[in-house]
Amino acid sequence: MVMRLLLKSARRFYLRHPWQLALAIAGISLGVAVYVGVDLANDSARRAFELSSEALLGRTTHRLLPVGGPLPETLYAELVTERGVSRAAPIVEGELRLGSGPGRRYTLLGVDPLKEGAVRGFVGYAPGSAGDVGRLMLEPGAVLLPETVAAEIGAETGHELDVHVDGRPVTISVAGFVRDAEAGADAPAVADVSTAQILTGKLGELDRIDLRLDTEAARALASDPPPGTTLVAVDDGRGGFGELTRAFRTNLTALGLLALVVGMFLIYSTMAFAIVQRRKVMGTLIAVGLDRRQLLAATLLEAVFIGGIATIAGLALGHLLAQGLVDLVLRTIGDLYFAERVAAAEPSRWIYVKGASLGIVATLVAALGPSLDAARSAPAATLRRAALERRSRRRARLAAWWAVPALAAAAIAVAADPRNLYLGFAALFFVLAAGALLTPAATGALMRLAAPAAERGFGLPGTLAVRGVTASLSRTGVATAALAVAVATVIGIGLMISSFRASLVEWLDTTLTADLYVSLASAVLPDGEPVDAILDLPGVAGVSMTRFARLPTAEGEVSLRAVRPGPDGWGLELTSGGDDAYQRLERGPAVAVSEAFAFQRRLDVGGTLTLPTPGGTARFPIVAVYRDYNTGSSAALMSLESYARIWGDDSITSLGVHIADNADPQAVEASLARLLPASSGARIRSTSGLVDVSLAIFDRTFKITEVLRILAASIAFLGVLSALLSIQLEKGRENAVLRAIGFSARQLGVLTLTQTFLLGLAAGLAAMPVGAALAALLVHVINRRSFGWSMELVLSPGPLLSGLALAVGAALLAGVVPALRTRRLAVAGALREE
Amino acid sequence: MDQVQLTRVCKAYGSQRVLDNVDFCANRGEFVVVIGRSGSGKSTLLNLIGGLDEPDSGSVAIGDTRLDRISEAERALFRRTRIGFVFQFFNLIPTLTVAENIELPLALNGLARPAIADRVGALLDELGIGESARRFPEELSGGEQQRVAIARAVAHEPDIVLADEPTGNLDLETAERVLHLLNETCRRRGATLLMATHGREVVGLADRVVTIRHGRIEAATW
Ligand SMILES: Nc1ncnc2c1ncn2[C@@H]1O[C@H](COP(=O)(O)OP(=O)(O)O)[C@@H](O)[C@H]1O
Ligand SMILES: [Mg+2]
Repeated sequence: MVMRLLLKSARRFYLRHPWQLALAIAGISLGVAVYVGVDLANDSARRAFELSSEALLGRTTHRLLPVGGPLPETLYAELVTERGVSRAAPIVEGELRLGSGPGRRYTLLGVDPLKEGAVRGFVGYAPGSAGDVGRLMLEPGAVLLPETVAAEIGAETGHELDVHVDGRPVTISVAGFVRDAEAGADAPAVADVSTAQILTGKLGELDRIDLRLDTEAARALASDPPPGTTLVAVDDGRGGFGELTRAFRTNLTALGLLALVVGMFLIYSTMAFAIVQRRKVMGTLIAVGLDRRQLLAATLLEAVFIGGIATIAGLALGHLLAQGLVDLVLRTIGDLYFAERVAAAEPSRWIYVKGASLGIVATLVAALGPSLDAARSAPAATLRRAALERRSRRRARLAAWWAVPALAAAAIAVAADPRNLYLGFAALFFVLAAGALLTPAATGALMRLAAPAAERGFGLPGTLAVRGVTASLSRTGVATAALAVAVATVIGIGLMISSFRASLVEWLDTTLTADLYVSLASAVLPDGEPVDAILDLPGVAGVSMTRFARLPTAEGEVSLRAVRPGPDGWGLELTSGGDDAYQRLERGPAVAVSEAFAFQRRLDVGGTLTLPTPGGTARFPIVAVYRDYNTGSSAALMSLESYARIWGDDSITSLGVHIADNADPQAVEASLARLLPASSGARIRSTSGLVDVSLAIFDRTFKITEVLRILAASIAFLGVLSALLSIQLEKGRENAVLRAIGFSARQLGVLTLTQTFLLGLAAGLAAMPVGAALAALLVHVINRRSFGWSMELVLSPGPLLSGLALAVGAALLAGVVPALRTRRLAVAGALREE
Repeated sequence: MDQVQLTRVCKAYGSQRVLDNVDFCANRGEFVVVIGRSGSGKSTLLNLIGGLDEPDSGSVAIGDTRLDRISEAERALFRRTRIGFVFQFFNLIPTLTVAENIELPLALNGLARPAIADRVGALLDELGIGESARRFPEELSGGEQQRVAIARAVAHEPDIVLADEPTGNLDLETAERVLHLLNETCRRRGATLLMATHGREVVGLADRVVTIRHGRIEAATW
């Protein structure tokens, strides 16, 4: 009975204050939506990776990769007959492009259809009937196209298509289709090995042999691989594959974590407002004799109800948000790392469950705090508002002290283990928490500072505005903290990105010493035909040469760059290594390793790197560690001379052309293009073009932060709006008195907006140092620990100021509604209420 | 001509007719007490005179100003310059000190800083609350708060002071002191004092007493 009355009273409260209800629901559902949306996007991206890699890898456990030269076809037979390896499949791989334009690119997988079943299970790749298998093996140029692609271009069985394989124009004939292995991943185009060899021009050669080995067989083969090969476990290969995308995913994870914190704040602040509003009524109820437990039960029931509705709305909103985010994320990832499109995948349902619990639990906690408060403080009707505010101010000071242990925890988390990424995330969380705890006290301090200026500038109304902010700390404290946390996140990520970008620009500038880069279609000799001709071109001051090689090692592939530096030196930014590093590289044999590689394998100057050579594995002394923001992490570098000598291969794969100072770069580029026309397969790119492309990719990768900014802004907006409206509800009477004294409606509106401005300013100012601290953590801890990249933290004013503008803007925008409402204040009515 | 003149004023809230064809007037400097039961329409009457509310029909004139014909912005200006309010629940601004509360109407009227300081000082002395100038309202007793409210109501030398049950929240003894103070303060300034109350303690001080009953005003019949 009592319960029914209580709930009826709650319902009427919300009916009378529909704004309050709308805000509570909007706040909670946005909190849930942000968390669910980011998490869903994250999860979908992860699954898409897994599916894509699975489609390519099948159930292969190991791969036999060539070391140095190509893998002779005969090795396959040898493996099967002499070593008794039964489950093995020869593979030739190429890149298939439809049409001549840039078009979409697919992996062309050359397999032996008869052997495939043993290794890959072959489910996804089965042609329609045995006859098709026959065609695939017998008919020249026969290829199975991915079903989706065939549908897209309207290809049917028997059609002939002009395509490019590895850049060369060829004609294929459609022999059937490949079903997508699982929804969400693009299937490769499939051909018979011999067809693929012809199409890719790799006659008599294989790219690798896929194997399914048990542990014992694997150990035997690894310890004694056929000459010129190494055995690589596929898990490692997959690890390397996943590594490429870690940069991106780590950022998303960080984002998800921040979204969780911000979402919690928003929920807390909106729900707490709704309850705190009625503390007087609750006090009266207790005074009348209501059991405290009954009161709590009623409040919680109400919270469950509101939280439930809002959570459902939040899940739906989060789902929508995720669709947009997933699209953005996958497009970015696809652009960056995959030849083929990564398709969206069904995300885990767990995320919805987690989002729902977040919504309900945070709502309950938020409602519990203030109602416990009301229940405990005896007949609260006697507790005057002023006493309540004094207590909030005390609490704000207390909360500020709690920031000390939070910061200490962050410091400990950072210092405890210099490699642990999760501790890095923990530190991120603690810094954010400390920022939130400090914000209310900082707001108070700022108001004390602002008071004299406001008084001088605006007289008594100025004082009124400043004091109004401090006086309603119990309402504004959490809202300001939520605003500050959201803005700090935006600032932190913005600063991290601008720092990263600055480091990238500097790195590109250092690394790209030449003016033009030529990638050659096939390896050529350094003193061979095109190179000599290039050196003879007028205006060419010199060339640098590179041989790029992928070396399989037991721990995965190593990308080796063998370099003969041009007139401008090596173009390296060394993070470790003595003055003699370059001399030692030139003298050889010695290697420099990339920062990321060094971090992951714990390599350093003075150590050695083991690489497979034609004469067996060899250990190379590491003489330097260099900065490298390329996505592949296992990168090493040595002199071209050393490489040529040891691998017996003195060809090069790309050239850097250095233009003389007095020459016209465009003329040089034109004569170079005449020398190496597109039909030769060579690609000429200018350094400025490369820089542009790199930066364009970079910018696109971090486009997702735009979304974050919008989210943060709307959260900030809602948080502040709810705080302001609840202040206004309480201040109705005070505003009416001001009107009675002679304040005009406009003056009252200005007063409201001034208070909002001050709130936004306080939150924005508090967010600046917190954001800078977050950026420092992201740059020096998170990025370092996930990729091994080091970069300079640049505290550029752009992100800091735009964060401040975001806080003030969101607050002012939120202030418009209440300011307009003061104009419609029914003075006589408001004076009656008590 | 009378300073305050209400002619055939009607005011209803929904279907409830609170004031029904009311005529009312008061002369400059007069102290008029309006008596009536709770809910009889006293506050409504004062709010109409103070320009906080608009009549449904009839005219409300203060001197030459027809309150029912001017805009809300003009009414705000009117209140700022010519009206002072004293409320039952004091209604001081909690975030301003005693002195600042009294400053508020002066600042609103654009007085210069030194002039404001002089006047506030004088009022604090006059009402015997000089000691509390720097304290906040919540630290004062009810009687003291109401004195601050009186000071605030007369600070800008209004023509009319509207007091809506100013003693309703005070004990008898304090109420009496506050009433005398209010009466004297207004008389000294020659301000018209219109006071709503449901008790009869004040009648001895008043120039005239009217009663509201069933939406109509009657001259007191006792
Ligand atoms: N803003 C309002 N909305 C609805 N009803 C009102 C409003 N103001 C006053 N009333 C009604 O008008 C009547 C007179 O109110 P009021 O003038 O406050 O009486 P008094 O001051 O004599 O107690 C009351 O019955 C009250 O319920
Ligand atoms: Mg009344």
